[in-house]
Amino acid sequence: MKTRLRLAAALAAASLIGLTGCGANPGATGAAGAASDFPKKGKSIDLIVAFGSGGAVDTAARLIQPVLEKELGTNVEVINKPGAGGQIGYTQLTSAKPDGYTIGATGSPSVVVSPLDPSRGAKYTRESFQPLGRQVIDPTVIAVQPDSPYKTIKDLLDAAKANPKSMTASTTGLQTGEHFALAQLQENTGAEFAPVHFSEGASQATTAFLGRHVDVLVANVSDVNDLSKQGKARVLGVMSAERAPSLPDIPTFKESGYDLTAGTARGYSAPAGLPEDVAKKLEAAIEKAIEDPAVVQKMKDLGLQTSYLNGADYKTFWAGQEEDFKEVLPLVQKKD
Amino acid sequence: MDTLNELLNGFAAAMTWQNLLFAFLGCLLGTIIGVLPGIGPVAGVALLIPLTLNMDATGAIIMLCAIFYGTAYGGTITSVLLNTPGEAASAITTIDGYAMTKIGKAGAALTIAAVGSFVGGTIATLGLVAAAKPLGELGLLVGPPEFFALMVVGISLLVALAGKSMVKAVISGALGLLISMVGIDPVAGAPRFTFGMDRLLDGVSFVAVIVGVFGLSELLSYRKGDQPAAVHAPNLRSLLPTGKEWLRSAPAMARGTGIGFGLGLIPGMTGSVSSLLSYGAEKKFSRNRHQLGKGAIEGVAGPETANNAHANAALIPLFTLGIPASPTIAVLMGAFLQQGLTPGPTLFTENSEIAWAIIASLFIGNLILLLLNVPLVGLWTSILRVPSSILTALILLFMVIGAYTINFSVFDVFVMIGFGLLGLALRHLDIPLAPMVLTLVLGPLMERSLRESLEISQGDFSIFTSRPISAVLIGLGLLIVFSPLLKLRKPKALNEDPET
Amino acid sequence: MTTESVTSPPGTGKTARVAPTVLAGIGAFAAVGVYVLVSSISLGLWTSLGPGPGLFPFAMGAVLAAMALLWLLQELRNPSETAAGVDRGLVIAVVVSLVLLAAVMDLIGFQLSMFAFLLYHLKVRGRRTWVSSLIIAVAGSFGAFYAFNYGLNVALPVSTIPFLNAIGL
Repeated sequence: MKTRLRLAAALAAASLIGLTGCGANPGATGAAGAASDFPKKGKSIDLIVAFGSGGAVDTAARLIQPVLEKELGTNVEVINKPGAGGQIGYTQLTSAKPDGYTIGATGSPSVVVSPLDPSRGAKYTRESFQPLGRQVIDPTVIAVQPDSPYKTIKDLLDAAKANPKSMTASTTGLQTGEHFALAQLQENTGAEFAPVHFSEGASQATTAFLGRHVDVLVANVSDVNDLSKQGKARVLGVMSAERAPSLPDIPTFKESGYDLTAGTARGYSAPAGLPEDVAKKLEAAIEKAIEDPAVVQKMKDLGLQTSYLNGADYKTFWAGQEEDFKEVLPLVQKKD
Repeated sequence: MDTLNELLNGFAAAMTWQNLLFAFLGCLLGTIIGVLPGIGPVAGVALLIPLTLNMDATGAIIMLCAIFYGTAYGGTITSVLLNTPGEAASAITTIDGYAMTKIGKAGAALTIAAVGSFVGGTIATLGLVAAAKPLGELGLLVGPPEFFALMVVGISLLVALAGKSMVKAVISGALGLLISMVGIDPVAGAPRFTFGMDRLLDGVSFVAVIVGVFGLSELLSYRKGDQPAAVHAPNLRSLLPTGKEWLRSAPAMARGTGIGFGLGLIPGMTGSVSSLLSYGAEKKFSRNRHQLGKGAIEGVAGPETANNAHANAALIPLFTLGIPASPTIAVLMGAFLQQGLTPGPTLFTENSEIAWAIIASLFIGNLILLLLNVPLVGLWTSILRVPSSILTALILLFMVIGAYTINFSVFDVFVMIGFGLLGLALRHLDIPLAPMVLTLVLGPLMERSLRESLEISQGDFSIFTSRPISAVLIGLGLLIVFSPLLKLRKPKALNEDPET
Repeated sequence: MTTESVTSPPGTGKTARVAPTVLAGIGAFAAVGVYVLVSSISLGLWTSLGPGPGLFPFAMGAVLAAMALLWLLQELRNPSETAAGVDRGLVIAVVVSLVLLAAVMDLIGFQLSMFAFLLYHLKVRGRRTWVSSLIIAVAGSFGAFYAFNYGLNVALPVSTIPFLNAIGL
């Protein structure tokens, strides 16, 4: 009888333990263990996406994930940690051990700006990240409902000037790229919208737009590419120097008489302090993944042009962005 | 036919050997949790979340769902064999189940219970399939104000139905919301209530809180004399019910399915209400009603079918509206969120493959549960013979490992201990725990939709009453809380339900 | 925050009086509510950017404080019976042992601390035989450590004391 009892307890314990094995584990070894044997077989790498699933950041991360797995020879798990316009995910990324087993997708301006505004109390700065590679620049667009009376960006802005705050406009969170674009647009043109901040990211903002809970969608090219083709959104203008290849009929803001460019630059970073050989391996794998022809093609289908920068160049680009955004930051800060 | 196609794709995705293994392990663990005294389904599911954090979303959710309805069956075993329900929903089964054990028909009772669970669970899952598409498509109508109003309805239902005192239920709900606010503000990014501790920036770990409040506090509130009675092991030859017993069970199962399915859809109703009502229905409508209480098979078949139909039907509001109907479902929802999946209308538009794979796995899981439980009855009974002091030590061991491995930090172990004491205090003060779990999960979603709504209306609170859908929902919520009618009709069983 | 109500003695049974544990609980909830109210004002209820981080906590703090007040009124009118007291020996034993375990786990490692913890619960409190206590304690500490660490790549903490660390604990 006793043996049966032990057997039962052992079975219970064994199945519990067996379960833990079903997923390999992140962050388990100390930094000391991460050396030339990186990445250890069976130990998965977490790729933190600081926005909800379904958005452009998430999609891009999921596109490179299989190539990364092939290059690194281990599992790569995409983990969504949305909230506070990316800050929650970035906090988690930068507080992870710099052992290469945690990397993250980083998008500016959100990652650049959040540490600049003291009221956000961000626990990280630019130095907390080790940039590994930039993937794309995704220009900002402005779209309205397909049955909206406004056919051009000028119509829309004039209406918003005549009736300030009569229309709601989405952003993907406070002080994100969309918020900056909107604020700069208001500053330059005198038009006024009522911003609604969907702090989990573009997929949430787009859903609200489709449900007609907001009037104006401020988003990136990749977010509206499909919607525009399906006639679910009327894109009025693109905030880039040249027209977006995926939206050839949509004029740039400059063409419409407003000298404004804005967009989101996205890449991948690790927490600062990575051992050099680990950083090299990750950087190489990320370059391969970003420039993989199939990935580039799929990005193109989403309306995105790959513009790869290596870690060092991404770092320089990041610093430049910081300078630029410092100047316009007061536009999106609270004023009291 | 679109739905059928997607369901078939879901089956294809769910049938990988890993996912089948997860479903199998989930059923196994769920049953063990159901059998073990002192660890209820809420704490059990929460305790196992850390184990699934590193798995891919589909596998993790499949396993947690399997655990979830495994517990619904596990509780039956102890009810029948020991006269001690492993969880509240099986309490009523003790009457006829244990009576059957005494006349040597334990095997038949357990088999019928397994078959009934399978029938109820499968039919409820069919309901989920039918409801998923139409309700999912309503999703776009649900903007931030409607979403907020929906959650108000869910919480008011739970507050109105939970426990004896509404004041205490509201306190519990407010506590859950406050705990959910610790960490970085999800909108503006400012740290809140972190008391300067960097550890708290990411919020208090949900799993540590649940394991503490439900698991540890339950263990702490144990008193001497809560030991189970002696076990009557079933005669294995009696496993198969006779043809007559099958015939008698069929109508009871049909009634049980209807009751469980209907009540499972209502947030705030727990499985025990379904099984109680089903027993009541048998007493009223069964042809053999005079035998109930003396070991009638209907007294097992009805409530057990209702219990599992309820458990599966309760997933419908979660999948389609994002509203957790019970504490266990709220824990499940927490797991969804940690996997980056937001249950609710958008689940079927943004993650439809995963959603359908999970639905398909519910069918598979119900089948596994049936196959697993009939032959393993002997094994379950031997677990019950493990002395309680050893069980206590092992449960504590798993709680500590579970809490530690969330973030690989002792901090979460302390969080668990602290919340264990809080849970004990709440139990002592007779404050229901269910509203707290619910609001703990819903808190961030609720706050976000509130702030988005106010941004849309530019600060005007009337947005909640000027939009038709949210106005109706808010009205409904108020009606639920303030209607004295509902309070009078509140099923007594809820007051004794430890899950609420 | 409300833990003091656990250790204070249960209601003494005078019918017309509010039990001290209930009073302590109400006091604690009211205090938490007021604290949240005050601190959420400094978080900002409304900013030029819209609803602020303090808005929702403010509402919840108000609800909590109001409910505590309401509960007090209910109690004064009709004191409730407190639930049966807890087994204080059990609570203290489990909580203190858990706190000690968590406190020393990073220092002396999972294996030693868990071994001692299990032994305490099995042998001292559970009064199992030495043989079964030792077998289960070894399996739950050293066994679990090796199973998790090497079999499953889940690192349970090792000792930070160099000597212990060197011998693999």
